[in-house]
Amino acid sequence: MHASSATPQFSAATTFEGRAAIVSLRGGVDDVAAFELATIINVAIDGKPASLTLDLAEVIFIGEAGLVVISNAESRLVGAGMVLTIRSPSALVNHHLGSAEKATLEQTPPGNGHLGPEQLGVVDVVSQRFGSSLSAPDLRRVAGMPTDPDVVDGALNLVVELALASIGDADGVSVSLRRHGVLSTVAASDRTIMEMDFDQYATSEGPCVDASVKGHWFHAESLDSETRWPAFTPRARALGIKAILSSPLRAFDQPVGALNIYSLTASTFKVKDQQAAAIFADKASVILRDAHIDVSDRQMALRFQEALRSREVVSLAKGIIMERSGTDEEGAFNSLLRLSRHEGTTLRARAEAILRSVAGPERGPEGGAS
Amino acid sequence: MIDPGMVARHVLDSYRQEAGLSHSELWLRYFELGGMSTGFELEAYLSGALVPSPYDRDVIAHALNERFAELGARHPVTYLTECGGEDPTSLSP
Repeated sequence: MHASSATPQFSAATTFEGRAAIVSLRGGVDDVAAFELATIINVAIDGKPASLTLDLAEVIFIGEAGLVVISNAESRLVGAGMVLTIRSPSALVNHHLGSAEKATLEQTPPGNGHLGPEQLGVVDVVSQRFGSSLSAPDLRRVAGMPTDPDVVDGALNLVVELALASIGDADGVSVSLRRHGVLSTVAASDRTIMEMDFDQYATSEGPCVDASVKGHWFHAESLDSETRWPAFTPRARALGIKAILSSPLRAFDQPVGALNIYSLTASTFKVKDQQAAAIFADKASVILRDAHIDVSDRQMALRFQEALRSREVVSLAKGIIMERSGTDEEGAFNSLLRLSRHEGTTLRARAEAILRSVAGPERGPEGGAS
Repeated sequence: MIDPGMVARHVLDSYRQEAGLSHSELWLRYFELGGMSTGFELEAYLSGALVPSPYDRDVIAHALNERFAELGARHPVTYLTECGGEDPTSLSP
């Protein structure tokens, strides 16, 4: 039933390697298949595996619903202290790129720009799915319920996994984010990487801190010769890190964090990797923007205060209309709506005018409010 | 068989996306105009899980239309009540 002529048959199999669960998907993940996928993943998670891997090697199409399911699984796993690994998304490319672009891709020599065909695949798919033409609405849906911090973190973990799988020689990836004025790591591929980030916060220096504050990217090509961050660099070297690439995350034109990519190999990040990192940082920024992560508690309080005031003005105006015309509340709202639309003003502006008419010319809207 | 109500609700959510409003920002605007439903209920209206009353539907429509006005567009979201017919600024679909 769910396999339409346009969407190849979806199937999935769960296997175990020790306590590691591997869910291998095949075919097209359309909306209906996504529902099935959610059930399969939930059953796998309920089995309390040590880790969960999603093998996408045989997947030739994945829709928005499928991406949401993967994002949600990520959140659930993170909540249970586990990590979701996404394996081999290469076959996705064939569907998404179409014949012309696929041919170009196949001609790309492996290793060019330190990105093999597998890695290029992820970048291209992410770029194509979430690129400028589709970006905002698609990612809004991928991000799911954006105001819930757990879900936002889940979506960011997915970005981390995708970046790790796509960027050549990346040995670790993390997302740093300023919440309530404090920079912290909200998604990281492993504990060492989290430690790397913490060392930067502790020393108040490093590419991650600079990218988060200054809003442009920082590349430590080789930490052996790096001089910009004298307190942090020795700590990173002690953990074997040789190169770091940090790209800023922005929301409403303000830097709010950074996407950090670490490598155990010096001078490994090329222009192509920097471009890929910028794409991931851009997409993470969209998730953050939609989650209103950049809005401070104070701004939020002011916004809510303003909303309460508007609501009060509208309520009072409705009361006046009800009193004058003997209509009910909905009738009063409709009158107000009709008036404001007829005059081309906002509902609040029209409501304020009604309050002023009651209060008299020498008093403001507040004057007649009680 | 396509449920026309379902189509209408999906249209509302498309307008929300087009207006660049998050669910929470739309709820706040709806709340400002006197809407009584919770944010969760509003999301359910947009996804089609719940059916809003005609009054709620119009408050949501107006919250969206005011946002479109801010963006320099005329009011694209139609209203269920009769006031839609008298509106000189509304676009015919």
